[in-house]
Amino acid sequence: VYLQILDPTQQQQLLVAGSAVAVGGLLTCYYWVYQGTKTKRIPIGDGWWGAGEKPQSEDEKVFPFQVQTSDEEIQDLYDRIDRTRYTEPLKDTGFQYGFNSTYLKKVVSHWRHQFNWKKQIAILNKYPQFKTNIEGLDVHFIHVRPPHREGQRVLPLMLVHGWPGSVYEFYRILPLLTDSLDSLAFEVICPSIPGYGFSEAPHKQGFDTLAAARVFHKLMERLGFSGYYLQGGDWGSIITTNMAQMKPECVKGLHLNMLTNKLRGFGVLFSILIGRYLPWLFGFTREDVRRLFGSVGFMERNFYEIIRETGYLHIQGTKPDSAGCGVNDSPVGLAAYILEKFSTWTDFNNRDLEDGGLERKFTLDDLLTNIMIYWTTGSIVSSMRFYKENLKTNIDNRLDNNTGVYVPTGLAAFPNEVRHVPQSWARDRFRNIYSYSYMPRGGHFAAFEEPQLLADDLLQFVKKVEKL
Amino acid sequence: MFTEILLALVVGGVVYFLVQRSKRHQLKSEDGWWGEGTPMAGEEDLSIRPYTVQTDDEELEDLYRRIDQTRPFPSLEDSQFNYGFNSHYLQKVVTYWRRDFDWRRQVEKLNKFPHYKTNIEGIDVHYVHVRPKNLPEGVTAVPLLMVHGWPGSFYEFYRMIPLLTQPSNPDDIVFEVVCPSIPGYGFSEAPHKKGFDSVCAARVFHKLMKRLGFQQFYAHGGDWGWIVTTNMAQLEPKIIKGLHLNFAPPSKPGLPVVLSIMLGRSFPKLFGFNEHDIQRIYPVVQNLVVESVKESGYLHIQATKPDTVGRALNDSPVGLAAYILEKFSTWTDHDFRNLDDGGLTRKFSLDDLLTNVMIYWTSGCIISSMRFYKENFSKGLDQPHSKMPVHVPTGFACFPNELMHTPKLWVQQKYRELKTFTPMARGGHFAAMEEPELMAQDIQNFTKMQEKMK
Repeated sequence: VYLQILDPTQQQQLLVAGSAVAVGGLLTCYYWVYQGTKTKRIPIGDGWWGAGEKPQSEDEKVFPFQVQTSDEEIQDLYDRIDRTRYTEPLKDTGFQYGFNSTYLKKVVSHWRHQFNWKKQIAILNKYPQFKTNIEGLDVHFIHVRPPHREGQRVLPLMLVHGWPGSVYEFYRILPLLTDSLDSLAFEVICPSIPGYGFSEAPHKQGFDTLAAARVFHKLMERLGFSGYYLQGGDWGSIITTNMAQMKPECVKGLHLNMLTNKLRGFGVLFSILIGRYLPWLFGFTREDVRRLFGSVGFMERNFYEIIRETGYLHIQGTKPDSAGCGVNDSPVGLAAYILEKFSTWTDFNNRDLEDGGLERKFTLDDLLTNIMIYWTTGSIVSSMRFYKENLKTNIDNRLDNNTGVYVPTGLAAFPNEVRHVPQSWARDRFRNIYSYSYMPRGGHFAAFEEPQLLADDLLQFVKKVEKL
Repeated sequence: MFTEILLALVVGGVVYFLVQRSKRHQLKSEDGWWGEGTPMAGEEDLSIRPYTVQTDDEELEDLYRRIDQTRPFPSLEDSQFNYGFNSHYLQKVVTYWRRDFDWRRQVEKLNKFPHYKTNIEGIDVHYVHVRPKNLPEGVTAVPLLMVHGWPGSFYEFYRMIPLLTQPSNPDDIVFEVVCPSIPGYGFSEAPHKKGFDSVCAARVFHKLMKRLGFQQFYAHGGDWGWIVTTNMAQLEPKIIKGLHLNFAPPSKPGLPVVLSIMLGRSFPKLFGFNEHDIQRIYPVVQNLVVESVKESGYLHIQATKPDTVGRALNDSPVGLAAYILEKFSTWTDHDFRNLDDGGLTRKFSLDDLLTNVMIYWTSGCIISSMRFYKENFSKGLDQPHSKMPVHVPTGFACFPNELMHTPKLWVQQKYRELKTFTPMARGGHFAAMEEPELMAQDIQNFTKMQEKMK
């Protein structure tokens, strides 16, 4: 009866509106159903990265390794430093154009006259280190067993570093995890990603995070571990996530301090447009709103800032050999390139400072030790290639980015991380989030900068998983 | 009713008038000072000083020592030039550089054309000025300004200069050529203050030409030279008699460009597309998006952190060579990425390539050359000059392997008086260096056409 009251045009309009709602409803249902049937793991695969052909049998020995140096090496470094050809920075530009040359001279002077590489090597060697050959590459790792304590439970944990970091980033957090009086302690393995530091660089193309994940699983297996925790930031975050996707039965828990998510899909899009005004609708907390939109707006904070800061990613993802060639000859160039990240990714505001705020959170000795690892191993080029291997094809379409993560996950969101990912976005991929913590301070190099905060968060997460 | 029509006409007229005016708007530019500190009171130094490129044993010793101390890193197996400059071939280039390349002889070659320096807006601007010899009776040389780009230099024009100043054909126009170095490049002093973008360079070059006594002249450019000469035409259209370009990517793709991309494959004639255009543009995503992303890493990092990326290159000659020569390979032909030797010596001689690299090395200008990217892009792509069309007679030489292919329709969007559009037989981005005869020929044709119209 009601329909008869409407005239033909109004009937048509109602029909159109009705269809639209029906279609919208169907699409939403389909979307939900599709989400639910996402695969739960990714294939493990295999690989060979050594030079030339693969031999018949693989060498499975684990042999001890010590970092060493020689007077020759140090003298060569000093010669090169002395022959640096500086260029004056533009006036009043702080770190806006990159590493400020005036401050660079101060850093280099410390490096040349005060930094003691032999002393730093002694520090590096205080943890036992090893190498073992996996898939044709010598993989370097640190293996720290906690001292025996009555009533203390020990769990295995792997920490994976990123770029431009190294295993050295974990040296401040290692004692907190292995030598604590808590009821829980960790036996820690810190490998160097192949192509970084003391790990051999792949000789073949295609060594991406999936390959690294598989190599690290093989490492843990070789060391006799069947179930372990994983922690990572930067590349380490992606590699450990891949590990959790490859062999979820081996990964007891995954803890990350850096997240990525696809900025696609209607949910994310709407949350960007309206989330500032109706945060509760999208599961945003006030802290999320503050970190996502800040005082400058989403586009500025997340889009333009990212463009400003991803030049290195772009060139390393396309022409790593060109970007790295010169940097492998010039220690000062290497220092400038790497330390610029330690400045900017710790706090974007550091770009306005003449000294890049570097020494506010780190000591020059620690920063230079990390640089020396890249310098003495000559691994900068291979470290950059990792970007190309992963970004060659559209990474959004890669299988692991379309597969969920079902192991217990703990997320630590540091306020000055390059990009903030709220829990509501993370949930799209991480299906088993046990803890999501807003950290009070710290940036991208969390383990290096705020080891206590990270250790505490990791511990509370593991205790939740272990139901302690 | 009548009043409505009248009002509409008046409003329409005003809008039309305003729009027209803004279209013919001339580019404005304020004066600048790029020297250290503040400008001193008193007369500006207008002197023109002859300049000779020089070298000494110390410079060569230092170069050789650094080359000997290179720490090479082997390329991945079967990767050719896809990851950047291939390490095996780099070794060959460096061996040549160390043992056979004769910098002293190259310096003599550089000095065969007269060089000068003059101080403009606080910095010393370097340029090459070649006056034709033995001009026939009653013939005046046509002044031509040629501006280089990155990672090139004035040296890119060296093979072309004699073709322009001493043409073999008696019917050809005889040119008087000025090739400056953009401030921050080569032997021109680098700006000490931030903000030196292409419009500033254009203004500085206008002052240069005025100082040399030219009331009107032609301008040629590719790469950065394209934007600088375009800005010059926008700043003072009456002074630029003609603008000749070999590179002109659309800065603000308007509706015609977008439509042509969408429909050009199905209706090529409608948009004036020929077969080559179709081949270069389609498939769109692959050719316009993916290729651009693959090749613009250097642009991204130089436009954001020039001091960081350039830092090591000023210490490592081999690193500098790899960084620069990779462009001479890939931008000459994309397919060279799949060659073990990057196809470098197919179109260039190692001597010429290394001479260009040596200009960057001996002047230590790599960082300042990169800063130009940041100065130009940091304010965004929406600069007034990129939105403003150009009303100076323009000639475009369309080389088949140019980085960004621009069919006639696209070039016409900005260059409203496009007089010649020549599809060239062969050549890539560094066309002046790669195909000097072809380029000189096209400049001749364009200029002849313009001069006849006087």
